[in-house]
Amino acid sequence: MADVEVKSEVAGSVWKVLVAVGDAVSEEQEIMILESMKMEIPVEAPCAGTVAALPVAPEETVEEDQVLAVIAS
Amino acid sequence: MSWKDEVRELERRREMALEQGGADGIARQHAKGRLTIRERIDLLLDDGSFREHGRATAIPDYDDDDRLLGYQPANYVVGYGKIDARRVVVGGEDFTLKGGSPNAAGLRKSVYAEHLAVRSKVPLVRMLEGGGGSVKGGAKKGGTVGEPVFTEPRFKIIADAMSQVPIVSAALGPVAGFPAGRLVASHFSVMTRDTAQVLIGGPALVQRALGVRMTKEELGGAHIHTRSGIVDNVADSEADALAQARRFLSYLPSNAWQRAPVLACDDPVERMEDELLTAVPRDSNAPFDMRAIVEMIVDRDSFFEIAPDYGPSQIAGLARLNGQSVGVLANDCRVYAGAMTAEAAQKYRRFVEMCDSFHLPIVNFVDQPGFMIGPEAEKNGTIRYGMAAVSAAVQATVPWASIQVHKGFGVATAAHYGEDAYVLSWPSVESGALPLEGGVAVAYHREIDASPDPEAKRKEIEDRLRANRSPYARAESFAVHELIDPRETRPVLCEWIDWIQPRLEQLTAPVAFGMRP
Repeated sequence: MADVEVKSEVAGSVWKVLVAVGDAVSEEQEIMILESMKMEIPVEAPCAGTVAALPVAPEETVEEDQVLAVIAS
Repeated sequence: MSWKDEVRELERRREMALEQGGADGIARQHAKGRLTIRERIDLLLDDGSFREHGRATAIPDYDDDDRLLGYQPANYVVGYGKIDARRVVVGGEDFTLKGGSPNAAGLRKSVYAEHLAVRSKVPLVRMLEGGGGSVKGGAKKGGTVGEPVFTEPRFKIIADAMSQVPIVSAALGPVAGFPAGRLVASHFSVMTRDTAQVLIGGPALVQRALGVRMTKEELGGAHIHTRSGIVDNVADSEADALAQARRFLSYLPSNAWQRAPVLACDDPVERMEDELLTAVPRDSNAPFDMRAIVEMIVDRDSFFEIAPDYGPSQIAGLARLNGQSVGVLANDCRVYAGAMTAEAAQKYRRFVEMCDSFHLPIVNFVDQPGFMIGPEAEKNGTIRYGMAAVSAAVQATVPWASIQVHKGFGVATAAHYGEDAYVLSWPSVESGALPLEGGVAVAYHREIDASPDPEAKRKEIEDRLRANRSPYARAESFAVHELIDPRETRPVLCEWIDWIQPRLEQLTAPVAFGMRP
């Protein structure tokens, strides 16, 4: 078991969170959609596993490299 | 009488030179997972093509009877060679001797590398691994210090070379000080992911000056410098780094007086990919894969991306259209909608200057929402770097084609058109001074505020303006050359490549404003 941090590639805000803590996710599954410069940027799970943490909520602003989710794989 | 004895001595010295830092030095280098400079040269060049210059250059140790006691070869190896049967100059530090920090003989040869490439009018490939000067090499009593006042600055040839011959640098170990300066004075640079670091000053200097304790890797590893823009590409191994160097050079002419080689192309110029019809989503805010679009249009497998991790909203790379090398620029809307950040602008400016220096036509896939905005963008000085990018574009002398793929807003859009650009527009184009969503709220705020239903008013104005932005309006006004089916892009561009040949034939001298680091 390893915890994998999913970091934001862009600064922007959280538009939708598509999973909840405890959900099983597959690799490349969309787990969140950010909004940045009017574009809807999907965030994908880098690996299969279980969502261990979701430190951000919709409408929250995020910085580049900020942790959006933690996946236990 | 014969010269047999001297020849025997000469051969003995040649063998000693090949010993580099000795078996121990070579073993230490290999233990670090790195090759020696001579192994690197063999890996880079066509077999048997290396013609070394200054094989006897060394720091000898003679006794009173002029007998040779010791022999330390120059720790910079330089010479002619061939890549894909084309002439190049190749040079690099020998890290097995003094950690690559130049010994006196090595220094002379390293300075010679740029001169040799410029005078021979051939590309230079630097394989860098080493430090700069050391205080240990200080003045001897009674000798002279410093350079004579009339000496040409040592960096002049390094700067001049960039406007005359292609320069590629590979960082293959720790590269600090002067060699780091050489690294960035290149048209393409690459570093190995795990075995190279690039530093102005190493950990000891940093700790002394700033009291910060950091490793070489933390200060200047690939994770730092692919994002700082110091190094364009990262390589998984030395072989990969040198393969990337060879590939980069395959797109370029040997010098600024020549044209890039045109290769035979087996990819049909009439190829039209159906996927291009659906590549741009109708929903303006949904991102799409610009690289996939580029790859469907240029010659199959010919796209070579440069600096993907630096200023990633802007894509830059080399490719071919019907065998003709072209510079490709494109926006990646998945990163800040493709906006021009300060980094993207610097990447853009350097890339345009490189293409201009070597007369590569530019093909630009435009999806530009404008300069990046916000507090970070202002602090980064975005508009200045942005205008430098615009200036490079409008002053470029190479033929230019722009494909309006999606957005084209604001001043930053001016960077995407050279003078006399051939402008093709896709039906998915949206353009203007500002994107409607933000622009309407600003320009019509009084009208909107005064309305009993501001939201409905805003939407009404947006819809009215959107109608004027149909792709046909600009085509009808001859503001674009042609409105095309996206699938036609490859055939149309390949035909354009044919029509610009007479212009390319005229571009046979260095440009007035070359590339600077």
